Amino acid sequence: MYGPAMTDDVEVPPATGSQPRHLNPDDVGIAQPRDFVHGHTFAFKSGQTLPCFTLRYETYGTLNITRDNAVLICHALSGDHHCAGWHSPGDRKPGWWNNLIGPGKAVDTRRFFVICANVLGGCQGSTGPSSLDPSTGKPYGIAFPFVTISDIVRSQKILLDHLGISELHAVIGGSMGGMTAIQFSIEYPALVRRVLAMASTARESAQAIAFNEVGRQAIMQDPAWNRGDYPRDGGPRVGLAIARMMAHITYVSDASMDRKFGRLKTPGRGAAAPDAFDVPFEVESYLRYQGQSFINRFDANSYLTITRALDHFDLAQAYGSLEHAFAPVQAETLVVGFASDWLFPPDQNREIALALLRTGKRASYAELATDLGHDSFLLESEELYTLVRAFLEREEVVFDFTI
Amino acid sequence: MNKPVEKRTIDMQVIGDWVEPGSRVLDLGCGKGELLDYLAQTKQVSGVGVDLDFSRITVCVRRGVNAYQGDMTSFMRSFPERHFDRVICSRTVHELNDPTGVILEALRVGRSLTVGFVNHGFWKNRLDALVRGRKVRNAVYPTEWFESRPANPVTIADFRDFCGKKGIRIARFVHLHGDWKRPCHALPNLLAGYALYDLTR
Repeated sequence: MYGPAMTDDVEVPPATGSQPRHLNPDDVGIAQPRDFVHGHTFAFKSGQTLPCFTLRYETYGTLNITRDNAVLICHALSGDHHCAGWHSPGDRKPGWWNNLIGPGKAVDTRRFFVICANVLGGCQGSTGPSSLDPSTGKPYGIAFPFVTISDIVRSQKILLDHLGISELHAVIGGSMGGMTAIQFSIEYPALVRRVLAMASTARESAQAIAFNEVGRQAIMQDPAWNRGDYPRDGGPRVGLAIARMMAHITYVSDASMDRKFGRLKTPGRGAAAPDAFDVPFEVESYLRYQGQSFINRFDANSYLTITRALDHFDLAQAYGSLEHAFAPVQAETLVVGFASDWLFPPDQNREIALALLRTGKRASYAELATDLGHDSFLLESEELYTLVRAFLEREEVVFDFTI
Repeated sequence: MNKPVEKRTIDMQVIGDWVEPGSRVLDLGCGKGELLDYLAQTKQVSGVGVDLDFSRITVCVRRGVNAYQGDMTSFMRSFPERHFDRVICSRTVHELNDPTGVILEALRVGRSLTVGFVNHGFWKNRLDALVRGRKVRNAVYPTEWFESRPANPVTIADFRDFCGKKGIRIARFVHLHGDWKRPCHALPNLLAGYALYDLTR
């Protein structure tokens, strides 16, 4: 139904004729990352502080005069601020949610002012464990403060204040981004009009924490990790690659992997290969490629920090109950689950909507019958686009029911 | 015979008369959210609908109607007693797998339950079955058996018998003639085309 691709394969059509793909009129074009520097002390939930921090972010579209068309996009564990458009004509891939965000797309940048920031604790330009601690002149490493989803939210609120935004038309995110969006509506009820959380959860299951722990152990057991103290171009590359390979399996599904790879073998390898542990199966070389490309763009200590933030996110525990957590929410919430998501399964998504409804809030739940697993929120689906558009663009029309 | 679309709006009007302004309403089998939208506009209810279909949920979301995609019984199980002022089950009851379970659960989470259903005992349906000896087909039952979802047609007599057996109180009811407009007072099981019942524990 959605073609043979898995969602991480961002389909990039080749440039046709004289039209380079970064000039595609459906895309936002060349996106310019910006750095926001907060020059004051930031206190984390843990009580630890940073003397200052930087958030790298991108914006697309234009903030209107009434300043009420801003949409905040929240990224997932391995995502970043670059969610739409291109950084340079030579890029292999556009931003990670380019299929959803752009002129005329479901999140229409002709209409909305879209903002996306790399999370605090990340490694794509925002302050994180690989940033230099001004007091020592060395990277923070594992001395970086314990980050929570709430810290991510509160740091992004400071960015929004800087941008002069006191109302968000919507906060949108998938997976960890969904957690962030929900947390936003809890901490800043008056700021958020709509929350769209996809493939998300109010707390991870033991299984999800277990998978994250295996990833963390792969990193920390790599001697090159060295208790988080490693040079910028070094570090636990083997451990981080293995963590990514394993995590990647949890983002897809049995069906989607089997459809894409089945038991295909790499040409020229297979039974005749001299080394039986060489990569005969294409799924193996695919995962190795995923691992290798990840270590070139991600910092191992950031991976530890952000997976910890994910694992410790627990709204019921933090506020006493989900109903208590949602009590201040003013936003209208749309939760979207995906039938084949076994990492943050449909029931965990349902529970968010049910708890909001029990608390008397406006909430809806929709479930898409895709078989692509957790990463389904990234998929190219007209059904999903229609739903997102319906949620974002509804006019407050009064229907006439007089008969 | 009126078109089904018009009939739907008549159903809505009667239900709208019974709904208290500003109350909390659950619509089981909400479809595209027409009824809840109407009740929100005319009675300022805070409503939520349950339906199984993604595209219908999308229409609800576009209307600004809260909607939940999933099974209605498990939905209701996640709510405390009397969470809703009124549960509505309009033209859905004949398609339920477990009508008793759904109705009793609806009477737990709702202070009252409104059930609207097509009276299968209506004389035209009886005549159709008697004369043609085939599955009933008319404006209300438009499809052939092989194009239809599994249905469990119910008559007014069946429904009243059910309420009696389960000790469910009938607070009020309306029987409508085959035009679904004029009230039907005599021999409803034979002469009424549509029935609306308001139930409480």
